[in-house]
Amino acid sequence: MAKILLADDSETILLLLRTRLEMEGHEVETAADGQEVVDRVSAAGPPDVLLLDAMMPRKSGIDALRELRAAGIDTPALIVSAHTDGGDGEDHADLEIAAYITKPIDFDALFAKITDLTTR
Amino acid sequence: MHRPRFRLSPSLANRLTIGFVIAFAVLTGLAVIGVARFLQQREDFENATARSYQREIEARDSLARGQNPAAARAAIVSQQRRRQALSDEISSETRDTALLVGAGLIAGLTGAALLFTGLIASMRRPLENLVEASGRLAGGDLDVRVAVGGLAETATLAAAFNKMAEDLQRRAGERDQLDRMKDEFVLTASHELRSPLTSVQGFAELLLLEREKLGPRQAETVEVILDSTRHLVRLLNDLLDLARSDAGRLTIRPEPAGAAGLIEDAVRTMRAQIDARRQKLSLEIETDLPQIEADQDRVRQVLVNLLANANEYCPEGAGIGVKAHRAGADVEIDVIDDGPGMPEQQLEHIFERFTRGDAGETQRVGGTGLGLAISKSLIELHGGTIEADSTPGQGSIFRIRLPAIGAPDPADTERSGAEA
Repeated sequence: MAKILLADDSETILLLLRTRLEMEGHEVETAADGQEVVDRVSAAGPPDVLLLDAMMPRKSGIDALRELRAAGIDTPALIVSAHTDGGDGEDHADLEIAAYITKPIDFDALFAKITDLTTR
Repeated sequence: MHRPRFRLSPSLANRLTIGFVIAFAVLTGLAVIGVARFLQQREDFENATARSYQREIEARDSLARGQNPAAARAAIVSQQRRRQALSDEISSETRDTALLVGAGLIAGLTGAALLFTGLIASMRRPLENLVEASGRLAGGDLDVRVAVGGLAETATLAAAFNKMAEDLQRRAGERDQLDRMKDEFVLTASHELRSPLTSVQGFAELLLLEREKLGPRQAETVEVILDSTRHLVRLLNDLLDLARSDAGRLTIRPEPAGAAGLIEDAVRTMRAQIDARRQKLSLEIETDLPQIEADQDRVRQVLVNLLANANEYCPEGAGIGVKAHRAGADVEIDVIDDGPGMPEQQLEHIFERFTRGDAGETQRVGGTGLGLAISKSLIELHGGTIEADSTPGQGSIFRIRLPAIGAPDPADTERSGAEA
């Protein structure tokens, strides 16, 4: 079981991810954009895993992660994207992204990845 | 390039042509008059000579009769002198006429030669330029233009050529822009469709997780939703890949990988579907295969695509085989089936987009018609090749070759051998 901070601007995707992750026994907190993620982490400390949508209004998952990394937070991060990268064709090697999760989501692979990241 | 020594400006060429025609007419007229006059003189000369002989004969007659012998002798000498004078005169006339006609002829021919050389030279250069430019235009160089100038005709031709090239270039530009808009549209649309599809697929999967609470018909309904969603996702992925490929944005992230592992992954993905059609799958993977530089997801995608095609187009119980072996500096992976095969004309177009098996088959098979086109792009991005061979009624073979890591390139070996 892991504490997961989940961010997506689509409420249905948030509901879907939250339901499936909670069914797996994870503890899930949600945010609607990257700014909320940054605020939440600075207020309540980092979770075990960050699961961030690459593209969100106000602040993207990539930008939020860049801010967190700059603040010295090395929480494992998974980026949800419609593409096999952040959607901008860039590598973001400096952000230490554990994996890109493509839409539609392969939940078995996602759960395996989370287990892998939290039992290391 | 050959530069003509003598060229005419367009207006000069036109004036010279007219001038030459007038001069030629005048010269011809003069020559005719000259020759006619000469012929008249010749006739006069002959008449006068004949009269002179007549008089001499008359004088000799009177001499023979002994009438006034002194006068007769004088007449004979006078007639002989007169004929000499006439002969001298006609010789000089003949010479003068011949000189005049000859000079006119030479002048006319020289003028004609100069004029035509000039005309040909003035047309040759622009025509040569046009020929060269047409060749380049036909070869796809739409920037090509020719200088407009020279004779009116070649100038018109050059202007028409330039206009045609401009039209072609403008249309090509418009087509490129449309292509870019199409690529952008497909990229954006497939991205925007992905989120709602994620929800549909995710929630349908969620329902199926509670299958025991659903009636049989409800469970079946959800499965249909899931199947359709997966098909839609596949279509979106294929369209996205193609749009990226067209826009030159299809990229791979190669890393050293084992071909055997990739083949096993692909087979695992397809196992259930192959078993469902009771098809026999055989693997023949050479041991100690060198690694390949591969984007694993992408090579797996190609292998799954080839296996899915074999699975879908072959009848129940057919045999499907995957063979991997070393082939020179490459690793070759063959996906072989003993299915219905393809006729020649279908095989030729098999890697083009939206090319699929015949209509009856494709009704049953749910592919997108894009898989092989994408597979080809992906394998070529890896620096490899993919080709197909088929015999109708006996089966098909798809042959992938990917460069092996660390394998000595035969060309390199030869080169270093030659140096040593």
